[in-house]
Amino acid sequence: MSEIIFEPIEKYGLSQKNRPKQLFSKVGIVGCGTVGQAIALMISQKELETVFIELGEDKISYALCKIELELDNMIEHWGMTASEKRAILSRINGYVGYENLKGCDLVIEAIRSKSRERRITSRKEVFKNIEKYVSPDCIIATNSTTIVITELSSELEYKERCVSLHFLTSAPAAKMIEVVRGLYTSDVSYEKVCKFVRMLGKTVIPVQESPGLISVRILVALLNEACEVLMEGVGTMEDIDETMRVGIGMTLGPFETADKIGLDKVMRWMENLYSEFGDKKYIASPIIKKLVRANQLGRINGKGFYRYDERGKKLANI
Amino acid sequence: MKVLVLNCGSSSIKFQLFDMQKTIVLAKGVAEKVGLKGSFVLLEKKNGQKVQFDGEIIDHQTGIEYILGILTSAKHGCIKNLDEIEATGHRVAHGGENFKTSAFIDDYVLAEIEKLGELAPLHNPANLKGIVAMKALIQGIRQVAVFDTAFHQTMPEHAYMYAIPYSLYNKYKIRRYGFHGTSHGYVSKRACEILNVDITKQKIITCHLGNGASMTAIDGGKSVDTSMGFTPIEGLIMGTRSGDLDIGVVSYIMDKEEIGLSSVNTVFNKQSGMLGVSGVSSDMREITDAALNKNNTRAQLSLDMYFYRIKKYIGAYASAMGGLDILIFAGGIGENSSVTRFEACKNLEFMGIEMDKKKNDLVHSKDAIISSNNSKVKVMVVPTNEELVIARDTLQIISNM
Repeated sequence: MSEIIFEPIEKYGLSQKNRPKQLFSKVGIVGCGTVGQAIALMISQKELETVFIELGEDKISYALCKIELELDNMIEHWGMTASEKRAILSRINGYVGYENLKGCDLVIEAIRSKSRERRITSRKEVFKNIEKYVSPDCIIATNSTTIVITELSSELEYKERCVSLHFLTSAPAAKMIEVVRGLYTSDVSYEKVCKFVRMLGKTVIPVQESPGLISVRILVALLNEACEVLMEGVGTMEDIDETMRVGIGMTLGPFETADKIGLDKVMRWMENLYSEFGDKKYIASPIIKKLVRANQLGRINGKGFYRYDERGKKLANI
Repeated sequence: MKVLVLNCGSSSIKFQLFDMQKTIVLAKGVAEKVGLKGSFVLLEKKNGQKVQFDGEIIDHQTGIEYILGILTSAKHGCIKNLDEIEATGHRVAHGGENFKTSAFIDDYVLAEIEKLGELAPLHNPANLKGIVAMKALIQGIRQVAVFDTAFHQTMPEHAYMYAIPYSLYNKYKIRRYGFHGTSHGYVSKRACEILNVDITKQKIITCHLGNGASMTAIDGGKSVDTSMGFTPIEGLIMGTRSGDLDIGVVSYIMDKEEIGLSSVNTVFNKQSGMLGVSGVSSDMREITDAALNKNNTRAQLSLDMYFYRIKKYIGAYASAMGGLDILIFAGGIGENSSVTRFEACKNLEFMGIEMDKKKNDLVHSKDAIISSNNSKVKVMVVPTNEELVIARDTLQIISNM
């Protein structure tokens, strides 16, 4: 067997014209909590290199560990093969520090800020930090739904590259993503992002800039109404969920959905929407507040409206 | 007279450049990871030298442009300029019911291939990209599509229809199409050439056993039945595909495991077959090793199932044709695994199949008769060469224009 010779390919083109660069080969994610992990998985499954940055090494290993668990879960449920898992994991890398976002074609902010005051300021800082290290044509996106992109991008040097990209991380198989253009977003950036969404095998749902977009705004109202129905004693929690599932055809009932998303997150959405619109229909129902205060946040810690085992499987209520 | 043969997958482009006068391959290779990170073109020159060209290949057109650039380059090329390429032949996965033979690609054929993307969503769109790219890169290049399904278009209605509501056939053209047609057609003709017999008087069963595997009953040179169906999952047990399966199992698993369509697809296409049963690998060599040298009983079971399924189809197709004259093994496993050939033919003496164990054991990837001299049925190994068929069909179609 003769040895293989290696050569760069560039000089073998037929014409010497400037070739277009790959639209997306490396995607960055800031923050690798549950949302960041879900986004990293979605992207790396489509054979793109994924880089996430976190605040500390411990958080990175935790996130990678969770991603691996999720992949094992998918294998166990026949969604994937072991070799696909290896390939996916090899494409995800975690680092500390914004400088590791260099060379990304798209960076998605997916941080979680606990306090209301910090939610805008901290995201603005994230945006500015990202801009320090990426090239001017790199798209910067937020996964936040209740904070408008125009505000986040307002202090950047290249504002036209910012969009809002809402991954429904509680339903990764959902074949749609809400895409929002802000006041400054250029057509080029918007088109690029739409291409990215299609690369992920999902449909673009174009949404006008408005807090809560479509998904969160309607879900929140639905959940509050479900809580009202429960509090009035019209039906039990199980029966309300079953009615919406079996009767109306939702995959999960409103309480099951809320548990899956996380009640703390749902409550933050509600608070943000209330402060934006001032409509009391967005005020979190007392039941939700009670559960969040008791740190019963849903699937993530085993108890919310329902009880769950360590793997997130719903247990029968006693 | 030089013909370029292209086989475009979703992220790869396989190519071979033929000199048709001398029937030799001037160069061959593959562009891998097209549109992905780490893309490259691997070239294998006539003298066996391999060269890997690394760099960004953003799409099929760029990939083909590089391939053409490499073929015409002074350093690694084998032709002086692109005019030397007389025509391009493309492997196209699905030809539906309209294409019974290979076809010259004009606007109509192009549109049809696009439409058939509904039946082969993973393959036809990629094939189409190659055709469109060549059209853009070489003005006026003549192109021919060679369909994987075309050879099986001679199947009678009673063989290709499924016993499901006829309206579904009318609506979606759901029926057996079969695949590997180019291979089944080639090896059956080649076998008759070697035996010096008239193919129109022969009853032949061909076993294309590779990563994907299918068998075809060929009566008088025409495909009359084949084991793959509407999609390439039906029929034989394959590396990771289940082959024939009770559809009741599908809905039962979906219900019990609470999985949806995409996971079901993974189960039966990627986690089943030899890999699923043996738990060892999808590679026949590793499974055989585990069974023979490591006493792995599940590996042995998967082999027993694999051989049994082939044997079952031999019996079925022999009775479908009312007899059998030639049995052919082709494809990676068919050409190299003497165990597979032997076990699949064991105990079939009653129907005139008598293997010569010694001859069989010695044959790897070459034309050979492996049945005993007294065997009524000739059992043969015939290495397949789909690229050559594509090149020949291409040449024939453009010569007749």
